[in-house]
Amino acid sequence: MLFNTTAFFLFLSVVLILFYASPRPWRKYILLAASYFFYGSWNARFIALLLTLTVIDFTAGIWLEKTPPGARRKAILILSLSSNLGFLGFFKYYNFLAGNLALLLGRPVDSYFLHIVLPLGISFHTFQSMSYVVDVYRGEQAAVHNPIDYALFICFFPQLVAGPIVRAREFFGDLLRWNPPASSDVSRGLFLLALGLTKKMAFADQFAKVANLYFGNLAAHPAMREAWSGVFAFGMQIYFDFSGYTDMAIGMALLLGFHFPVNFRRPYLAASITDFWRRWHISLSRWLRDYLYIPLGGNRHGRWNTYRNLMLTMLLGGLWHGASWNFLIWGGYHGGLLAFERAFRSDTERPWPGGLLYPLKAAATFVLVLIGWVFFRAADLRQALQVLARIVSRTPGHGLLQHWHFWLVGIALAVAIAEERGEMVERIMKTPALAYAAALALMLFCLDLFGVIDQAIPFVYFQF
Amino acid sequence: MRRPIWVSFAVACALAVAGATALDALVFRTPWYVSILEPDSSTGLFELVLARERDAQQRNGANLVVTLGDSRFAYAPRLANEVASRTGYVFRHAGVAGSDARAWYYMMRDLDPTRQRYRAVVIGMNDYDDEDEFNDPNDDIRALHYVIARLRLRDIPEFAASFDSAALRWEALRGAVWKGIVLQADLQDFLAHPNWRLGKVAQYRRFFDFWTYNYLETDRTMTGLAIDWKTMRATLPPGLNADQKGTIENALLRDPAPQTGRVAAFRRHWLGKIIDLYRGSPTKVVFLRLPRGPLVRPDNLVHKLSSSVREFAARPNVMLVPEHAFDSLEHPELFRDAIHLNRQGIARFSPMMAGEVGRLLDAPAQRASR
Repeated sequence: MLFNTTAFFLFLSVVLILFYASPRPWRKYILLAASYFFYGSWNARFIALLLTLTVIDFTAGIWLEKTPPGARRKAILILSLSSNLGFLGFFKYYNFLAGNLALLLGRPVDSYFLHIVLPLGISFHTFQSMSYVVDVYRGEQAAVHNPIDYALFICFFPQLVAGPIVRAREFFGDLLRWNPPASSDVSRGLFLLALGLTKKMAFADQFAKVANLYFGNLAAHPAMREAWSGVFAFGMQIYFDFSGYTDMAIGMALLLGFHFPVNFRRPYLAASITDFWRRWHISLSRWLRDYLYIPLGGNRHGRWNTYRNLMLTMLLGGLWHGASWNFLIWGGYHGGLLAFERAFRSDTERPWPGGLLYPLKAAATFVLVLIGWVFFRAADLRQALQVLARIVSRTPGHGLLQHWHFWLVGIALAVAIAEERGEMVERIMKTPALAYAAALALMLFCLDLFGVIDQAIPFVYFQF
Repeated sequence: MRRPIWVSFAVACALAVAGATALDALVFRTPWYVSILEPDSSTGLFELVLARERDAQQRNGANLVVTLGDSRFAYAPRLANEVASRTGYVFRHAGVAGSDARAWYYMMRDLDPTRQRYRAVVIGMNDYDDEDEFNDPNDDIRALHYVIARLRLRDIPEFAASFDSAALRWEALRGAVWKGIVLQADLQDFLAHPNWRLGKVAQYRRFFDFWTYNYLETDRTMTGLAIDWKTMRATLPPGLNADQKGTIENALLRDPAPQTGRVAAFRRHWLGKIIDLYRGSPTKVVFLRLPRGPLVRPDNLVHKLSSSVREFAARPNVMLVPEHAFDSLEHPELFRDAIHLNRQGIARFSPMMAGEVGRLLDAPAQRASR
């Protein structure tokens, strides 16, 4: 059940009606049942996996709380993390490792393959669950004693399959002291739901058509402009797709009285790769920083260790996205760029809009990010290298994008700049009802003219 | 008393939907967008035919006869009008390839709002009997694309409900309310190449009547086609292309479908609405059975349960051209595939058809004068 389908909106309407029509003590049960129904509508068998991980980490949390510091406590933590990473490793990385092992042994790549179906959202909910256990181990989070509460934390349907990765204290803060959403929350939630849907269906899916056309048949598009338009289209697709999903998730959560962290802050306006990672998939960056980069030593042990830690964090971040050399290279590419920036970073770097060089820096950052997306989107390393070679090819050819694609980009850029300068969305929330309705009407009209209605193109991050 | 929050948001949502609908209407329910439609699209072609026939009404006298049908009703108005001195009628064709009775109803409603422009509306039928095939005529979503520019707000409930499947009803309802959803591909194509589109539209406006009035069909034939109806095996003429073979498979060698009455219900509804448009008007509604094909399927393959067209004949302003009037044209050398007449077939059919219709329209007057 994709967020951009009629079926999902029917489901959401029923959940909202049941949720608010029910007595307060029943509401979390309704959310839990709805979340398992949502997950089961994709593949009911994996509910067992979700339940298993829920039971393991819920139990681990309680044990950790009861166990004094020492080896036993560490063993519980390791047991819990191993379970999560074991499941994640098996479902996500087994075939990758088996394929590479087979190649090392000189055997056909699929010699040791298993027919494994990747459970939806496994990367997200395992990371969320692990963060809870680590927080309890560190004493930063009290163990949860109600299994229903914990199960809801893991499977809450707005963010179950593609985040944002919510920290336990954020979620339980809302759940245990639940209040009906304020008028401003409902207004923001509804707006974000419409905005996310518009980003996904009118922007991302239109660019997806071009990106799929290019990457789906590279042989038919050998020239430079075709390569640039394919890569640019994917850059637009992935941003609008993922941030659109996130907006919808945050919006739905607000309508249900929960507050999710911001996950995107206009990343293509970033003036450096460091800045980009402060704006892109913020909940993952925060997770990687808190549970990987800082435990590895962060920037506390000298320059070279900082570079190493950055590289390791980004390599693992890349691998988190998918089991392929492409994702590893993508992570390494960003790790390298981050380390490079760290080495040459000016201490006087000013935030936007300061500095005359800002447009140049932002453009350069955007191009660097686009080059990284080649590895992210290409089917394999060979295809990625082919695309990169075509980007610098001397055969100009013809672009695959139409004028109106650039109009869409122009509109998005204008909105992003307005948002960056003055939090435009926040101001719309505070406008009179008529102006608010007009903003919603414009989004609906955008869907009317550009929404890819009948194809239900899946969200890019659903595969992770 | 303060209103609950949800009421405020319901009002805001309702205003937003109304606003989006108004913006959609501003673009797609005004004549502006119709004037720049891609001429080679379903909607664009339908609108071009409508505009062409409106112009023709100004140029021609009171003896206009308009014909409706799909691509099978392929005659040449120029040839039909060459016998105008004999028949006294001027024939115009408002048929659109791929269209059906649902689309013809909206065509006639808007083409002849006073119900007095034509002496007759001639509707070409494949068969006077109602034979169900595997495709449900109610669920032909192409109708939405043909008539989208014609649909008014009050048409929406009936039009959407005329589809059988729930998914198509929803698609029709959604598209009829927010026309942008149906026309967005056309709009995007226009935005991609606006000058090219405007040039093409201008060219079509200028020459469409000339092109279509003087169009010459291919002279390919099906000579050599034979079918053993017992074994349902065909002997094909040499050099047939995939389209020609496809029509043989679909039209001649098709398996009989269960006779459920869907076609009869569809015809009764939509042809009935066309007849109702002309109730009490001087315009006659004339049905004619088109030449069926290079070979004709034996009657015993399907037992047809009804004949809605013959039922219509009992109404005062409805007439039927004799069913077998064009049987003499059902020969392989007069067809380009299994359903469409070729150039020679059209050359023979056009004056024949004009003559038959003319005779039929004159007959009551003659009867009255006797």
